[in-house]
Amino acid sequence: MHSLIQLSIVVLLLPLLSFVILIFFNRRLPRRGDFIGVGILGTAFAISAYIFWSVIVQTYDPAFRIAWDFTWIDLGNVPGVGPLQIKMGVVIDNLTSIMLAMVTLISLLVHLYSTGYMAGDKNYGRYFAFLGIFTFSMLGIVLSDNLFSIYIFWELVGLSSYLLIGFFFEKQSAADAQKKAFLANRVGDIGMWLGILILYSQFHTFSFEQIYANLAAGKFGLSNGWLTAAGILLFMGCVGKSAQFPLHVWLPDAMEGPTPVSALIHAATMVAAGVYFVARIFVVLTPDALHVIAFTGACTAFMAATIAITQNDIKRVLAYSTVSQLGYMVLGLGVGAYSAALFHLVTHAFFKACLFLGSGAIIHAMHHEQDMRWMGGLRKHMPWTFATFTLATLALAGLPLTSGFMSKDAILAGAIGFAKTEGGGIFYLIPVLGFFSAMLTAFYMGRQIWLVFFGESRTHLKPAEDDHHAAHHAHAGHDAHTDDHHQEHGVHEVSWNMRAPLVILATLSIFFVYSPDPLDGGKGWFMKMIQTPATVVGEANHQIGDLRTPVSTATLAAAVPNVEVPAAEAGEHAGAEKGAHSYADMRQAEIVHAGHAAHFTAIYISSIMVLLGISLAFIVYVFNIIDPEKTAIAIRPLYLFSLNKWYWDEIYDATFIKGSMLLANILSWFDTTIVDGIVNGVATLVRNFAFLNDGFDRHVVDGLVNFTAFTVNTTGAVLRKLQTGKVQTYVVMLLLAVFGYFVFYLTRLIY
Amino acid sequence: MTEQLTTIGLNHYLTISAFLLGFGLFAVITRKNAIVVLMGVELILNAANINFLAFSKFNGGMEGVMFALFVIVIAAAEAAIALAIVINIYKIFKSVDVSSIDSLKE
Repeated sequence: MHSLIQLSIVVLLLPLLSFVILIFFNRRLPRRGDFIGVGILGTAFAISAYIFWSVIVQTYDPAFRIAWDFTWIDLGNVPGVGPLQIKMGVVIDNLTSIMLAMVTLISLLVHLYSTGYMAGDKNYGRYFAFLGIFTFSMLGIVLSDNLFSIYIFWELVGLSSYLLIGFFFEKQSAADAQKKAFLANRVGDIGMWLGILILYSQFHTFSFEQIYANLAAGKFGLSNGWLTAAGILLFMGCVGKSAQFPLHVWLPDAMEGPTPVSALIHAATMVAAGVYFVARIFVVLTPDALHVIAFTGACTAFMAATIAITQNDIKRVLAYSTVSQLGYMVLGLGVGAYSAALFHLVTHAFFKACLFLGSGAIIHAMHHEQDMRWMGGLRKHMPWTFATFTLATLALAGLPLTSGFMSKDAILAGAIGFAKTEGGGIFYLIPVLGFFSAMLTAFYMGRQIWLVFFGESRTHLKPAEDDHHAAHHAHAGHDAHTDDHHQEHGVHEVSWNMRAPLVILATLSIFFVYSPDPLDGGKGWFMKMIQTPATVVGEANHQIGDLRTPVSTATLAAAVPNVEVPAAEAGEHAGAEKGAHSYADMRQAEIVHAGHAAHFTAIYISSIMVLLGISLAFIVYVFNIIDPEKTAIAIRPLYLFSLNKWYWDEIYDATFIKGSMLLANILSWFDTTIVDGIVNGVATLVRNFAFLNDGFDRHVVDGLVNFTAFTVNTTGAVLRKLQTGKVQTYVVMLLLAVFGYFVFYLTRLIY
Repeated sequence: MTEQLTTIGLNHYLTISAFLLGFGLFAVITRKNAIVVLMGVELILNAANINFLAFSKFNGGMEGVMFALFVIVIAAAEAAIALAIVINIYKIFKSVDVSSIDSLKE
């Protein structure tokens, strides 16, 4: 076993240890054991950083990969399935080591931050325990080398997310939100499991490597449609976990959880797990499945961005922004911009965690006020928060010199390349939606910054009557803050343990961490280390090969001239010339090249869009040239459409929830009348039969028994009379007997 | 017939014995006093003795005589034991009325 594997297992198990210690003993430990959580995560991060150093910095090899597994459960030869062995294993490649460092770092920062944010909560210890189990599950997803164990950890992150969303479970809205999140995730997970089963049914293995090898060897026995279906079903897991378009409704509601949890789970790590999973299975996705993924991502990015414009809750804006950015990542994977999507995953994790922790600091300082309409002017009171929040906002909006700029532009360039390669038409919708969302992102983030940090404080404008606010305060249990909430002088900068994570995360949102060239992420270590893997779909599989006529190498060369071919892809080209390559690989190479070609186009368009968005925000909120309220009235239907989140909750309520209720009512009626009727009918029958039986028993069987008893009794009574106890009676009987004997004997003698 | 009347034959003995047995039984069955019942028993034993002696006389041989002697001896012993029993009965029940003694019923 490689020493890095051993270390990664230690990293995996450390947060579990933290969970076990804190869940059982937090009340017996000083400070409810928060130092254990922070300390363990610190150790885990240190080890992860070492792994990162060894893999990325020292090895610096795009193809680096070590793996180790063991048979966890051997079920032997299961009838109807064949030999069934469930293995557990760890794989470390560049992606894993980056994710490992990212997850442990953000988790560590959130632990540290929570010691300030959650101080005084009555379930303080349990909170850290839950963070521990979450981190464990998330690392499990990152390290898994097979579909089965990734599914186990997938469900575990679902569970820990459920527990943390409903952390303030006395609040009805939190309890509802956790239920919603859990149910929406179940829908996706069912699809994911079915997808896993389709692949298992063909290859009889859960291991990624073996599935890829078998698929590449053409052992997939079903038609292309099945492979596409498997890809889309696996993608459904991502749709649920990463809050993509039909199932995105749970993520904004999940903001009911504590804000550091929103930063860790619902912005940086767990929701990115869906994207990570799609990246893991990227090579089995057929072009059709990728189209579905690309369109889902584009729709999600656009829809969530339009909703974010009108939200007033500071966390809800960020939540929809998260949905939108996740849409970008999924879009990126769908269009084949594999490394760009993962790049965006990492950069987004840092700047979005920074934004959420910043909003947590604001909410903390504002005494649990979350409505941006009543904030304002916080810039002077919270300089650290302001600086870091602004930096992260610039990264989110995608302004040059930030990490978000590089990753977002890489995705958009990929989208343009994809649309070109696919032949335009409807496929241009994807980059167009992407660019438009970029503009909207810049607009709503500008609005947020302005409303929160600039202008004058508007706390006094808030309507006096608000039970919502009181409920917040009661549950958070911050007894120290007994001063008047509506007084501005109560606002203050947060303590160092909440400030330090902000600074670290904001630093990680600057370009030089990832690439020396602020305009091109492709020159940085990240894009070099994470390269699009060669797809296994189609190689030596005639059925798959029929998807489309192969693009000839000449066409490719003509389509993308003057593009430097990376060494890894040069080998593929050699294969293509021999005629061994089918469509899918060529297509991938073509998209990558077209994406490279579109790099500067993307930069120009997106910079223009971002500037447009920011200027619009300035026009509306800073210079007041356009009055937002009048505009809202002028385009009231659109405004309401956005404010009510495209009515998705209402639609789901009217269809699925009402439908489920209706179905439940019908089934309940069926149960009470028909099923119960059958049961009751049978019962009546049995009862009548029993009644008959009872009569038979009572009168015939018991009659016989009683008759026997009666006979014996009577006989006894008669015989008892003979037993007088007097000697003389016995003598008489003796005489009679002798006499009788004589009579009998003599009678025989005579006759 | 005359011969039968003049000579005492076996039948005469047997008849007397039968009567004696009948009286003895009657006494045993009907009398209430335990002593009288014992007397009845003696009558029965003596009826048997008469039979033994009668058969001994008419058949020749001494077996019947010997038997009768044994019977007399046993009767004496029996009388002694029986009287002792009667005394004990009297001690327990304060009565020698056999009809009132029915503890055997239980």
